[in-house]
Amino acid sequence: MLVLDAIGKTYPNGVNALERFSVDIRLGEIVAIIGGSGCGKSTLLRAIAGLDRATSGTVTLDGIRISAPHAKIGIIFQEPRLLPWLSVADNIGFGLSELPAHLRREKVALALARVGLTDKADAWPRELSGGQAQRVAIARALVPQPEVLLLDEPFSALDAFTRRDLQDHLLDLWADTRPTLVLVTHDVDEAVVLADRVLVMRPRPGRLFEEIKINLARPRDRNSPLFDNFKRRVLTALDRSLDRSVADADPKSTAGEAMWW
Amino acid sequence: MGPRVRGDDSSIGAPSLSANLQSTAGSVLAMAMTVELPALDQADVTTRPAPTGRLRRLARPALGLLLPVGLALAWEIMVRLGLSSGRLVPPPTKIFETIMELAKSGELARHIEATLTRVAAGFGLGVVAGTLLGAISGYWDLARRLLDPTVQALRAIPSLAWVPLFILWLGIFETSKIALIAAGVFFPVYLGVMGAILSVDRKIVEVGRTFRLSGPAMIRRILLPAVLPAYVVALRVGLGLGWMFVVAAELMGASEGLGYLLLDGQQLGKPAQILAAIVIFAIIGKTTDWLIEIATAPFLRWQDAFGRQSGAA
Repeated sequence: MLVLDAIGKTYPNGVNALERFSVDIRLGEIVAIIGGSGCGKSTLLRAIAGLDRATSGTVTLDGIRISAPHAKIGIIFQEPRLLPWLSVADNIGFGLSELPAHLRREKVALALARVGLTDKADAWPRELSGGQAQRVAIARALVPQPEVLLLDEPFSALDAFTRRDLQDHLLDLWADTRPTLVLVTHDVDEAVVLADRVLVMRPRPGRLFEEIKINLARPRDRNSPLFDNFKRRVLTALDRSLDRSVADADPKSTAGEAMWW
Repeated sequence: MGPRVRGDDSSIGAPSLSANLQSTAGSVLAMAMTVELPALDQADVTTRPAPTGRLRRLARPALGLLLPVGLALAWEIMVRLGLSSGRLVPPPTKIFETIMELAKSGELARHIEATLTRVAAGFGLGVVAGTLLGAISGYWDLARRLLDPTVQALRAIPSLAWVPLFILWLGIFETSKIALIAAGVFFPVYLGVMGAILSVDRKIVEVGRTFRLSGPAMIRRILLPAVLPAYVVALRVGLGLGWMFVVAAELMGASEGLGYLLLDGQQLGKPAQILAAIVIFAIIGKTTDWLIEIATAPFLRWQDAFGRQSGAA
């Protein structure tokens, strides 16, 4: 269980990015955090990852307080952030340096097959497409089998088709070991496709605004009316979080425009 | 606690630094080092069909040789035809003869050995000092604030201005010469290492942090490989300056060395000997530069992927 208790972050310049954010996340749950820009989504994720310390509140994973990067927590960034001097296989095995070589090779080979890049094992990162590179990043983060995987707008730099592909692929990989996923996104579609729970945040200061449970069986049909219904609920919550009334909302966005900027 | 590597230092931008360096060292490098662009070459090759591609690969270096060989040949013919005496500008065969004579008497080996020893010692010292101080300044903020202004101020002094002082302090023999070469090599290496460390991508360092690398592991697995390409450039620039300074050192008084051959040729009016020494400088300079390139190529293979990528796409 991942417990966020009253997390707050005030930057040295006085900006109050995040205020008293609390939520409990079950093991194996997929939670999407969505909100307008400046609502502290990424700040929150970096605090969970132990990359930046929160100014108040605590993150605990299975009773252990997290204040620095932890073995059980993996993170995937918006950019793949592969190490350009390592082959694809070595990038995936980067977090396994303590394992004996043969075990490492085995795990890497498995992961490569799992993300469908076996033929790219010896390629350099620069030779990959954006989608392939992000798949390597996902494999790298998953291969040490983290209990929690954090994703910071992982697919936002990809084209719409690749993005859908990778969303489905991520769910597929998730089903292998069922880690907890905490996903920060701008994309309502993505949140509803992936998450068990969508947390809508409001900006200035960043705060939890509304929590929407997505009670839809997987795999989810992006074109079903139920799916649309959930999307509309998330969009409505987003609009209200920004103090826009629903009636005034941009008709395009209520019609289910995928991107939320 | 990970290292603090800052990529956003506005006062010292690494790329502009190294660019600056290369332009100041440009005159030496033009002779001793031509920075090849493997990426562009490869892209060129891959986009062409095989048979013409092979021809081109052979023809390209040949094209570069056309001008110097043509000029040499033309000069040789002019002298042979008696259109010029070739006294001040001896023809290629005369230069070659001089080199062979020097080689036969064993003189040449002695001079080359003396010069190579000086360059090796000076280059080694300069690289060690530049790497150490550059790494400390790049890695550690406090050290940079403390050290860097002084080093930059010293860098602003033309290194040759130290010569009289070095001679007074260290005598007229090897020590002062090696010190001068080391001083010349030190600055580009120091700047290259510091700039490279400062410009390491913070985002990549963060990857190291998320995998909980210890300080030494962070250096070995993230910082060193990230810094290596810029370091190789710094070494090559440093070596070019080392060759420049060995000439300066030997011109100022030596009884052996290629620089001595230059001075001796001037004083005794033997232009062929001067040109012979210059040709040998060019050959050895280019060779040592090439050795660095060859020795580091296995570690930089990942950079060449650029060419293949553009070919595959």
